Amino acid sequence: MEIPKWKTKNLLGIESLSKFEIRKILTLAKKLKHESVKNKSYLAGKRIVNLFMEPSTRTRIAFELAAKTLHADVISIAEKSSSLTKGETLRDTALNIQALGADAIVLRHSSPGSPLLLSRIIDVPIINAGDGAHEHPSQALLDVYTLEEKIGPLDGKKITILGDILFSRVARSNFWALSKMGAKVTLAGPSTLVPKSFESMGAIVSHDLKESLADADAVMLLRIQHERQSSSHFPSLEEYTRIFGLNKYRSKWLKKDAVILHPGPINRGVEIDSELADSANSVILDQVTNGVAVRMAILCLCTLSYKK
Amino acid sequence: MKTICLKGGRIIDPSTEKDEKGDLYFYDDKIISPKDAKNTEVIDVTGKIIFPGLVDLRCHINDLSGGNGENIFSVTRAAAAGGYSTIVLMPNLNPIPDNPATIQFIKDQIKRDACINVKLTGCLTKGSNGKALAPLGSLKNAGVVAITDSPLSPQDNQIFCKAVEYASMFDLPVIDLPRDLSLSENGNAHDGPSALKMGLGGYPRIAEELFVQRAISISRSLNTRVHLSSISSFASVDLIKEAKNRDVMITADVSPQHLALTETKILNYDTNFKTTPPLREEVDRKYLIDGLMDGTIDCISTAHEPIKEYEKNIEYDLAPTGVTSLETAFNISLQQLSEHPKFTWVNLLKFMSLRPSEIINVEGGGLRVGSTANIVIFDPLKKWKYHSSKSKSRAFNTPFNNEEFHGKVSQIYLNGKAI
Repeated sequence: MEIPKWKTKNLLGIESLSKFEIRKILTLAKKLKHESVKNKSYLAGKRIVNLFMEPSTRTRIAFELAAKTLHADVISIAEKSSSLTKGETLRDTALNIQALGADAIVLRHSSPGSPLLLSRIIDVPIINAGDGAHEHPSQALLDVYTLEEKIGPLDGKKITILGDILFSRVARSNFWALSKMGAKVTLAGPSTLVPKSFESMGAIVSHDLKESLADADAVMLLRIQHERQSSSHFPSLEEYTRIFGLNKYRSKWLKKDAVILHPGPINRGVEIDSELADSANSVILDQVTNGVAVRMAILCLCTLSYKK
Repeated sequence: MKTICLKGGRIIDPSTEKDEKGDLYFYDDKIISPKDAKNTEVIDVTGKIIFPGLVDLRCHINDLSGGNGENIFSVTRAAAAGGYSTIVLMPNLNPIPDNPATIQFIKDQIKRDACINVKLTGCLTKGSNGKALAPLGSLKNAGVVAITDSPLSPQDNQIFCKAVEYASMFDLPVIDLPRDLSLSENGNAHDGPSALKMGLGGYPRIAEELFVQRAISISRSLNTRVHLSSISSFASVDLIKEAKNRDVMITADVSPQHLALTETKILNYDTNFKTTPPLREEVDRKYLIDGLMDGTIDCISTAHEPIKEYEKNIEYDLAPTGVTSLETAFNISLQQLSEHPKFTWVNLLKFMSLRPSEIINVEGGGLRVGSTANIVIFDPLKKWKYHSSKSKSRAFNTPFNNEEFHGKVSQIYLNGKAI
């Protein structure tokens, strides 16, 4: 199989991508998912560095497995084991990784815009694996992939993202991806976590759970991070569950075959009923599986479009 | 010694509201009457604009210790290039000027290195940590022109109110850069559409407005002066306007950056647009310009904050706030205000020379006979490009790199001597 060209060599976010580019990644992901393992040596001899400055399980493992499946050599660096704990700046760490001969850097960092910053400093492809509350493009791409697999083309579909939108990079990337694919996206949750100002991005904002779920084709739940917002953004997890938690009764407001997504990690009994998370409508584990295929596509496109 | 005659220029004197063609004579350090001129050297300044040296109420530096940052030598050269004859240093220095000995130490450096007038502010609280009052009376005696914790603001209302009350005893102006930290602790950007997309935010307008109201309330209740530094929110303008209508002794300034730029500039995470306070929206920018023009806002301060390149060019949320401004402030202000229906050169020079001098009680803003000869010659036809790499400042963190300007300061005289 021939790997198509990727214009920028980086994947910094979804906002700057066209629908055509999103489709290019998804098409490649599908081919890679169904291709037999022994043929997948596209990245043989390439060195991928996972620079993860924030805790991550799913994303880091998915990127590692994706790279290994493509026969790349992978090194994963976590914040605690890097020189950043010795006061080295991100910029210097990245320059060193480039000097050591990396062919791509997958970056997870708490600062919004840090992948863009690195892309201005170094030549090696930068793949954003989550930057603060800004973007998490690979997550949005695997969500679109999963949704299309389950409910078909997204054009005209009603999709609701529910929970902590304000502090969520997953919500932002998904909003861009889903709207570019033609879906009508509603952002829902408490007014402090889903301020009306999201309308300036073109989103529908709702603080009414029933209205936001009514006739939705899919709902994406986000983890409520009570530790991050302390107590000023909402009173308690219990109150959140009572007012915005998704349970069996409320799930009936959705369309009959609607699917439930969650980027993980899930808090059972908080944003989602445990039973519902394991129900037939839940595609949470499909998301995880598809995450590897989508990340294989991203790694191929970015790494192979870079000539040292 | 010769008398100098600047001949045939357009002379702007905001102190007399005069804007007319004429000849300006000065001898030694004073402006003199033509009839007292003897032994005159004539300099033809036809086509040029002559005005009093500019005065800046908010200027920061980051090096008093012989390092490679912005020091008194470099900041005064940058200021002179921008047309300033007087700058007021904010107290976020190392060592921090919360005691008379440090004031004396800095004054010695000024005496050694400055090429223009440098006035000092003292800390409002010890170490500017907002906990206990600094010795304001001793600081006044040591020569400070105002007290402030800028770029910080005392969060404790009791401390702030008592500082204003105590300082009034010495007729010492209090300057506050209004910011409620409980609403803006991780404030990297204005809570607006750009920051929302970018995953930033945290510095809403209300964080400023509450402290603007605090300053107005204390000023009103004690009938004493408070100066608000670097106003950025449109609603702050309304609060100040209403207070002035009630004759509250409140004054305020705005930075050229806030007159010229809005938050959309940060969309590329370029930290050279990360100002203190943050850039806001078009509605704010319009209000700030109108506020200047209708007298609500008194003056323009540069908010010059030099930051070392390696400290500034990092992750956006980790980078310090602040931009350099001294060399571009006059051009930016002229550019932004000249289209306004109420624009006059006299007004512009009130904002940048006369009013700031009045607020800190120093001489300035006039070209009358007897005034100190701090004089700027401005060539309105000269086109030039500002390159931060060729700046007199030792910092490069300008939002206006490679900006093209019409009109340039071509000469400045301080105390009658060309710099």
